[in-house]
Amino acid sequence: MNDDKTAVLLLRENPSKSPDPYKMAELRGLANAAGYRVLAEIHQRRDLDHRFQIGKGKIAEAMSHSPKKLIFYNALSPGQVFNIQSEFSAQILDRFNLILEIFATRAATREAKLQVELATLSYDAPQVRNALALQKTGEQPGFCGAGAYDQSMYHDIRKRMAKIRTELKDVEMMGEDRRQRRREMGFDLVALAGYTNAGKSTLLNSLTGSVVTAKDQPFTTLSPTTRALEIKGHKILLTDTVGFIDDLPHFLIKAFQSTLSEIAHADLVLLVADMKDSPEILRRKLLASHKALWDCGVTAPMITILNKVDGIDETEAAAKMEGIEDLAPNPVLASASSGQGLEELQERIYEQLQPLQEYQIRMPYTPESLSELSRLYETAELLQVSYGEELVIRLRGKKEAMAKIQGASLSEMSTE
Amino acid sequence: MVCAVVSARVSPIFIEKINVVRIVPHVAEAVDLNTVADLTVRACMCLPGIVVAESGDFYNQEIWRVKCILGRDFKYPETLAERTAIELAHHISLAGRRLIIDPRER
Repeated sequence: MNDDKTAVLLLRENPSKSPDPYKMAELRGLANAAGYRVLAEIHQRRDLDHRFQIGKGKIAEAMSHSPKKLIFYNALSPGQVFNIQSEFSAQILDRFNLILEIFATRAATREAKLQVELATLSYDAPQVRNALALQKTGEQPGFCGAGAYDQSMYHDIRKRMAKIRTELKDVEMMGEDRRQRRREMGFDLVALAGYTNAGKSTLLNSLTGSVVTAKDQPFTTLSPTTRALEIKGHKILLTDTVGFIDDLPHFLIKAFQSTLSEIAHADLVLLVADMKDSPEILRRKLLASHKALWDCGVTAPMITILNKVDGIDETEAAAKMEGIEDLAPNPVLASASSGQGLEELQERIYEQLQPLQEYQIRMPYTPESLSELSRLYETAELLQVSYGEELVIRLRGKKEAMAKIQGASLSEMSTE
Repeated sequence: MVCAVVSARVSPIFIEKINVVRIVPHVAEAVDLNTVADLTVRACMCLPGIVVAESGDFYNQEIWRVKCILGRDFKYPETLAERTAIELAHHISLAGRRLIIDPRER
C-alpha cells in the first residue's frame, strides 16, 4: 500500500432505512484494493444535502485528517463535485470513480484498456458538460466566456467514445466468430460468473490445472481468460470473467459488454458464491449477481457453486444453503483451494451440458474426405470408421461441428 | 390502462409453469399509487403466492410499505425467473392495450 495514497471514507445513509454496515466495509475493501490507506470512516444518517451530498460539517471533519482524497460511497452529481472542490479544495472520488481507478490499474489487454477508457469517458461526459455550463453562468457574449477549446472538450469526449465503441464492437464481433469457431471444433462453452472476489479464478485454476493470476482482492480478473477442460469425452472451454458488484452503474455494464457477452452466449454458466460470507451478505451478493446476469441477457442453464466451504462446518453450510435456495439453481458445495466437491461439480457440469449426438456420415474416397476425416478426429469422438466402397464414419459430436461437413456438401449425413 | 397478471411457478432461473394469465383494463383520470395498488389488488384477487412487481410500478416505495398497502405478501424481483415473469406480464399488458384500444387512438 502506498503511504502517499491516503483517504477518508464518507457514507450518507437514508434515515428512513435501517443502517447497513456492509456498505462501509465494501467501500473500505475497494479503497484498500485501489491502494489507499484509510485514515477515517465517517457515517451520517440524514436526508440528501443537495449541495454537498453529506453534511458540510462532516466534510470539514474529514478534511481535518488531511487526506489526499475523500472517497464517497454515494454517487456525486457534477454540481456536488463542483461545490465540494470549490469549498474545501479537496480531491474527491465516489464509489464508481474508485471502481474505475481499480479497473484502470488492473487493465492489461487492449480490450480492457478500451473498456475502462469508455467507462471513464461515459462518467466524465456529463460532468464536463455541467462544469462547462457552470463556467458559462453569467457569461456575456464576447466577454469572459468559455473559449472554443473549452466548448470543444465535450464534443471531443463524445467523438472518442464513438471511436472506442466502434473498436469494441469489432472486438465483440471477433468474440462471436471465435465462439462459433470453437463450437465447430466441438467445444462446449462454459462461463464462470459471480460477485467479485468469490474465487472464480482459483476455481478455473483448480478445474483446469492452469496458473491464472488469482488473489484475495476484488477485480483481479478484468479480461476473459479461457482454458480447456475435458469431462467424460466432453471438450469444454471454461472462461473466467470480470466479477460483479452491487449497484453497478448502467454505463459500466455497457462499457464491459464485449467481456460480458462471454457469459451471455455461453452454453452453461457457473455462478460462484462465497460461502464464508454471512447469510445476509451471501444473499445480497447473489441478488446482485442475478441482476447483473439479467442485464447481460443470460438464457443458458446455470450451476451455483458455493465456494470456500472448507472454512465452515456442515451445519452452517446447510443453514446457509437453505437461506439462498430460491437464488441458487443446482447448488454444489465446493472448495477451489482444497479441491473439495470438484468431482461432484464436474459430474453436474456433464449432466447440464447438451448430450453429444451420434451421427453416421458416408463420404466418397476423395482427398477432401480424408482431410475431413482427419479434422473429425480432432473435433468429435469417432466411434467407428469403415473403409468399404465408401468411407462410413460413426461418431459422437456437437451439432455445430457436423454443420460444417454439411456446408462442404461432401456426402449425405444421417442422424442415428 | 391495462394491468396484466401472470401467476406462475418459478425455479431460480426458469418459469416452470404458468397457471393463470389475467388482463384487467381500467380507465382513470390520473395514475397514482392508490390507483395502481387498487388495480393490482383487483387483478391478483384469488391468486395464491407472493405478488412480485417492478419497483417503478410502485413508485420505488419500500417493500414493507407496499405490503401494508396491498394487504398481502409482496416483493420486488430478485431472481432471473421472476424478472422473466415480469417481462412476460409487461408484454401481455402492452399487447392487450394495443388490442382493446380504440383504433382511432392508435
